[in-house]
Amino acid sequence: MKKNLARIVLTGVFILFAFYFIYPTYRDYQLNKELSVKSGQDSIDYITTYGDKLKKAREDRIKLGLDLKGGMYVVLDVDVIKFLEDIAKKKDDILSGILGELKEQTKTTDLPVIDLLVSKLNAKGLTLKSYYGGDRDDLKTIEKKLNDEIDNAIDIAVRVVRTRVDQYGVAEPQLQKIGNKRIIVELPGVNNPDEVRKLLQGTALLQFQLMKDPAFSYKVMQSINKVLAGDTSQISMTDSSKSINTKDTTKITKKDTTSIKSTDKKDKSKTDDKKDLAKNKKDTTKTGKTKDSLKNKDTASLKDTSSVQDSLANMSDEEKRKKFPFFMLVKLYEGGGADGYVEENDRPKVEFILKRPDIKAIIPSDMGYFWSQKTIDIEGKKYYILYGLKKDAELTGKVIEDAKSTIDPQSNSPVVSMSMSSEGAREWARITGANINKRCAIVLDGIVYSAPVIKSKITGGNSQIEGMANIQEAKLLEIVLKAGALPAPLKIIEERSIGPSLGEDSINKGLTSSLGALILVALFMVWYYKFGGSIADTALIINVLFVVGVMAAFKATLTLPGIAGLILTLGMAVDTNVLIFERIREELDSGKPLKTCIEIGYKKAFSAIIDSHITSVITGIILYQFGSGPIQGFALTLLIGVVVNLFTAIVITHFIFDILLEKGKKLSFG
Amino acid sequence: MRILHNTNLDFLGKRKIFYIVSLSVIILGMIVLYLKPIPLGIDFLGGTELQVKFTNQIDVGEIRNEMDKNDFPGMEIKTMGTSKDILLRTPLQGEGQTVSDKIISVLKTSFTNNNFSVERIDKVGPKIGSELRTKALFAVIFSLLGILIYLAFRFQFIYALGAVIALFHDVLITVSAVALFDLMIPNLKLELNQTMLAAFLTLIGFSVNDTVIIFDRIRENIKLFKNENILTVMNKSVNATLSRTIITSGTVFLTILVLFLFGGEVLRGFSFTFGVGIITGTYSSVFVASSIVVDWKNRVHDKFVKGKPKLSTAK
Repeated sequence: MKKNLARIVLTGVFILFAFYFIYPTYRDYQLNKELSVKSGQDSIDYITTYGDKLKKAREDRIKLGLDLKGGMYVVLDVDVIKFLEDIAKKKDDILSGILGELKEQTKTTDLPVIDLLVSKLNAKGLTLKSYYGGDRDDLKTIEKKLNDEIDNAIDIAVRVVRTRVDQYGVAEPQLQKIGNKRIIVELPGVNNPDEVRKLLQGTALLQFQLMKDPAFSYKVMQSINKVLAGDTSQISMTDSSKSINTKDTTKITKKDTTSIKSTDKKDKSKTDDKKDLAKNKKDTTKTGKTKDSLKNKDTASLKDTSSVQDSLANMSDEEKRKKFPFFMLVKLYEGGGADGYVEENDRPKVEFILKRPDIKAIIPSDMGYFWSQKTIDIEGKKYYILYGLKKDAELTGKVIEDAKSTIDPQSNSPVVSMSMSSEGAREWARITGANINKRCAIVLDGIVYSAPVIKSKITGGNSQIEGMANIQEAKLLEIVLKAGALPAPLKIIEERSIGPSLGEDSINKGLTSSLGALILVALFMVWYYKFGGSIADTALIINVLFVVGVMAAFKATLTLPGIAGLILTLGMAVDTNVLIFERIREELDSGKPLKTCIEIGYKKAFSAIIDSHITSVITGIILYQFGSGPIQGFALTLLIGVVVNLFTAIVITHFIFDILLEKGKKLSFG
Repeated sequence: MRILHNTNLDFLGKRKIFYIVSLSVIILGMIVLYLKPIPLGIDFLGGTELQVKFTNQIDVGEIRNEMDKNDFPGMEIKTMGTSKDILLRTPLQGEGQTVSDKIISVLKTSFTNNNFSVERIDKVGPKIGSELRTKALFAVIFSLLGILIYLAFRFQFIYALGAVIALFHDVLITVSAVALFDLMIPNLKLELNQTMLAAFLTLIGFSVNDTVIIFDRIRENIKLFKNENILTVMNKSVNATLSRTIITSGTVFLTILVLFLFGGEVLRGFSFTFGVGIITGTYSSVFVASSIVVDWKNRVHDKFVKGKPKLSTAK
């Protein structure tokens, strides 16, 4: 009994674990079912209340592969050859000939491109120096530099793809860098190949967009608020809004001193800028005393703001929520103009609000709301910034020739300098000249990376952006500015899109028929092996439970080949029981007592079970190692299934028989 | 209730007949394969493939005419189950995604009164296709090698060799069967794609499992019946495991049959291939794997124990 107790406890623990890991899948299914019957306001309500739970359940559930769910699968290849062509210091027919050959060659080999290039150049009596080196660099340095640049270009490509995919707003997008220059993107549920292609393959769109006049932007927000307040009864807001004290305000103020100015030495305005900046700083700290303020530097145009602020102070939280539902989510702080600060958790709610047709109607057609790329910390909470920008770009990133992040020796703070083409510089001079002291956002693919204040007219095309918190931030901005023209183009080399109807159809048919087959097999087992068969069926159910549980625990994705693996596993599970039962029957024929027969049956079947399972494990491991996507899915379920099956067949069914025998039950094996 | 209880059939004595059967099926299959190869799926070939669903029935010939007129001559077009579901395939990949877009626009302009929805678009570049081919090949070769080594270690080398030859046999027979059925039943529309690859992997797994279980019984019986000749011992073992073999193969076959009939288009290729694989896998465990072991043992015996009666003692 002691031996059995340990086995029972072990089995119990495993079953509990399996349920624990499978639960989120069930929960996700249940929550989504409830959500799908709700509409409009009710669904906001629902998301507000259950948002976190929904998110958690979705993260932890068993993922379905695209073949079951529908969606898009895209493999992108970073075009390194094109990049090499672009960065060559000298371009001639020899180089383009070599690169052309390289292009063909890389279709079949995975050797490092640079090694191939070097050997091709050497064959022609040339070196990297001829095309990529400075005069004093030695070959090793050039090669290293070139490799670094390629790596950098690929990193940027990956980053840009990630941003675009995130921004596309698909649930659970998967992004994976494989090999050294390939990116796999999986977008479940997406069925718009055109849009996705443009999104993934197009060069990143870098734009300079002017910020809307804060006073105007504020008025729009007020209107949104009014619409929302009209039906506040239906919107319940979580109590996340605490007033933020002066200390934080200063932090925000500091952040907002990002400014842009000319680096042209001849430009006299530089000194003025400094003064201006200093003045600005003083300005903001002065007004920084007011708490929870909706004030702006530009007080004159924001009279009604202060009245809102006054009334706010006298209101209870409940009243505030009723009267200012929008401002409870989107907080305005001083120095920030009409920048809205939205807590990380509130972002989906605000996005939801901004997408509502009645809200969209209020926002002027030339204006759009854009999110900041990252969050900033205030009082331990993370806030996104919501910017009201002019929809039309003043200038696109095409004009940027170079960008570099450095530490400004004078102020000892990080700065990014960028230079523009002569054509861009002319435009830039006009724009900056007309918008001094206004803010211009640097927007990459619809995400605001920085929104500096224009300090002066910039004529030479050389600008400097300052006010970044640290060098990392500056480096990111540098990458963003350069990525305006994605350094190495991306090519789609594989694309699969599966319509959701096909996916749903296949999963339904596959699942129902598998279930039907399983029930048939289970019935057969009971008919053929009588009581033993029912134990085998119990083992089969536990088997499925464990396999699915382990898959959920590993966060594995269930695909069609995966289901095939599961079927093979279940076949093996049935086989294991058949093997044991046949042995037991053989022993029973020789007239031994039941208990002995069961013991011998298990013992004799053991070597066959072990050998067949280990062969499967070997196959599984090799297939997983060498196979690609679908083969791996098959191998993984097979591996999990085989291990689980060994446990259920050898441990679980055996102790069930033991216990029943001890209790003196009569067992029959048909 | 017992199936095939206490049988005593002389399976291995008739092995010569089954060698001939196996060989002729394989040869026939190879001839069919040579005449009409199983089409490679887009996974291995590269190209663009679209599956569309029309609201009304549509004539494949009509679509083909339109495609021929519009820059897609000789495109592969076929129905998928019903004459509303159409599969279009071209080896063209095109830069970017222009190929599938063009095909869709041709369909749109040509069949204005018959709406359709695009169910699936696959585009596979030539590099991916060739990579997949080599990867799949390596995966299969290495897993066979792994099986060979493990079984050689657990049994004897000749058993391992017999098992692996049986696996080759199963794959060849299944490929032949797929080619043959594809020729006879045009509606089956089988092609060598990733799903079928999964089926081949599954059948390898299943077949080796079956073989190992018979070998295990042989290993056990050789120790039990030291004075019997190898043929008798092996026949005994095959007979002893016969009911298990029939029940296991039967239940798995049943599962696959249900999947084949009701599992839908996507699972059809898989279930058909695996279904054939179950039959040949079960057959080969006895008539190929075990037969090879018997013949080898006899040869070794003849060579080293001359003068003694043939087929005397085991091992």
